[in-house]
Amino acid sequence: MGENIVNLEKKAKWVRNQVLEMCVGAGAGHIAPAYSCTDILVALYQGDILRVNPQNLAWEDRDRFILSKGQGCASLYAVLADMGFFPISELSSYTRLGSRLGGHSESNVPGVEAFTGSLGHGLALGAGMALAAKMDRKDYLAFVLLGDGELQEGSNWESMMFASHHHLDNLIAIVDRNSLQALDFTEQVLTLDPLTKKWEAFGWEVRTADGHSYDSLLSTLGDIRSRQSGKPLAVVALTTKGKGVSFMENSPIWHFRIPVGDELEQARKELA
Amino acid sequence: MRVEFFSSLYEIAAKDDRVILLVSDTGALVLDKFSQDKPDQFINVGIAEANMVGVAAGLAKSGKIVYIYAIIPFVTMRVFDQIRVDVCCDNLPVKAVGVGAGMDYSTLGPTHHALEDIALMRSLPQMTILSPCDSLSSAAFAQLSYETPGPVYIRLERYTESPVYSNPSEDFTDGLKILRKGGDLCIIATGRMVVTAQKAADELSHRSIDATVIDLYRIKPLNVELLTKAISGLKVVATLEEHSIIGGIGSAVSEVIAESGQAFQFKRLGLPDRFCRQYGTRKYLHTLNNLDASQVTSTILQMLK
Repeated sequence: MGENIVNLEKKAKWVRNQVLEMCVGAGAGHIAPAYSCTDILVALYQGDILRVNPQNLAWEDRDRFILSKGQGCASLYAVLADMGFFPISELSSYTRLGSRLGGHSESNVPGVEAFTGSLGHGLALGAGMALAAKMDRKDYLAFVLLGDGELQEGSNWESMMFASHHHLDNLIAIVDRNSLQALDFTEQVLTLDPLTKKWEAFGWEVRTADGHSYDSLLSTLGDIRSRQSGKPLAVVALTTKGKGVSFMENSPIWHFRIPVGDELEQARKELA
Repeated sequence: MRVEFFSSLYEIAAKDDRVILLVSDTGALVLDKFSQDKPDQFINVGIAEANMVGVAAGLAKSGKIVYIYAIIPFVTMRVFDQIRVDVCCDNLPVKAVGVGAGMDYSTLGPTHHALEDIALMRSLPQMTILSPCDSLSSAAFAQLSYETPGPVYIRLERYTESPVYSNPSEDFTDGLKILRKGGDLCIIATGRMVVTAQKAADELSHRSIDATVIDLYRIKPLNVELLTKAISGLKVVATLEEHSIIGGIGSAVSEVIAESGQAFQFKRLGLPDRFCRQYGTRKYLHTLNNLDASQVTSTILQMLK
């Protein structure tokens, strides 16, 4: 486990470096939102939680992963490239002329299951996929990674009701609870707390995790295929927006800002 | 019209268990048979249309062919973003079935009227729009929508006014049908207004004016070639629809005409650019908006002066 965690931490650092250079090269992109969920993505894909195969994209029994907070896609692209879904060399084309790597999660990209970026869509898509698995008596799981600010979209709460009503225990929602949204802290804009109680009240099993600790993430998701509650599962992952670069951390202005000059050098140094 | 559509869909679903029907607490007697006989292919998702469309897209991504059903505003306007992003961006086989074209729900007011749906759905890439005018075309469009690979919007009425088609093996692949040919003018109509167009054409014929009547049942993709050919040589063209004159078939046909290089005297007959806050029978509301057959006839006679 210890060696595995060190390896995952190395991968996360590599992903954060890739994200920085992709966005700096493009002159655009959501770096801080991508850093917030980097460790969750690395844990899911490279910590052997998700059942996917880069050599068989259409595998019917693969787990489905939806990045509902599509603005965090730079991290997802880097993870998918590292796993061999498409060449790592393609990452540098991010949002540039002719690239298929869009600034929001693009379903044309190998390994990306859904086109997201319009917030509040992913949970319903995941519920549909989980429902299809039940209908077809398949054992794959549907994972949806949501931003916390995104939960202000009412459509999520429709989907929460739907998932618990239909006993979609093969649906796992992970909330990237960094407590920030585009302009300010979530609790300043539109209160989300008590967040875990809200999910529970909507009929979900709820767990919390440290969204930057592989020990915490892997142990929280360790029994993911043998849960007995019969309910969909929400994991509220406590995270820091901008995690990995000190001056971006927990700072609203870095939602959609690209470092330049000394900032860029410092970011590179911290991620080295 | 609704009965025939869902009866036809029931037969399709009986043969293909990939066909799933989701409804957002919108019923019809005909749906009871579907829900009772095919409980594994039917879900009332509750009054939650945004989730309904997302679930439909998720099912469609997993190999299902999904029909979603509600009164028109709630399956088109309320969920425009979900249809746009989740369904159309990925060209998924999700078929939005809306009931209550125009002012079908005449007593229920603007919340339940459908004046803007064609305009919205027509703007979406990948979307096919089918607009039946009677029971036979309605039943046929259940099959046609099933055979059409991507997203489809079907604009239904609750009831048929009177039959337009009689041949059970009518071919609806052309996108439009010339119901009668006349050399003096052309009325291009869709939905139940096709019946009104036929009545107006009858009235005009009593005055020795011969009208061509076209049923434009597939609003998107428009068969531009056939439409251009059908109106070629006619000087006067009118469109007739129970939809806002902004963005409906009047707009669609005017776009074709404007780019045709031919000159026409052209008029859009439809609902004016305002909400209808009057109540009563549908016929009464038609009269208020100059959409009664005799009023249509008068408008066309004015055009011919």
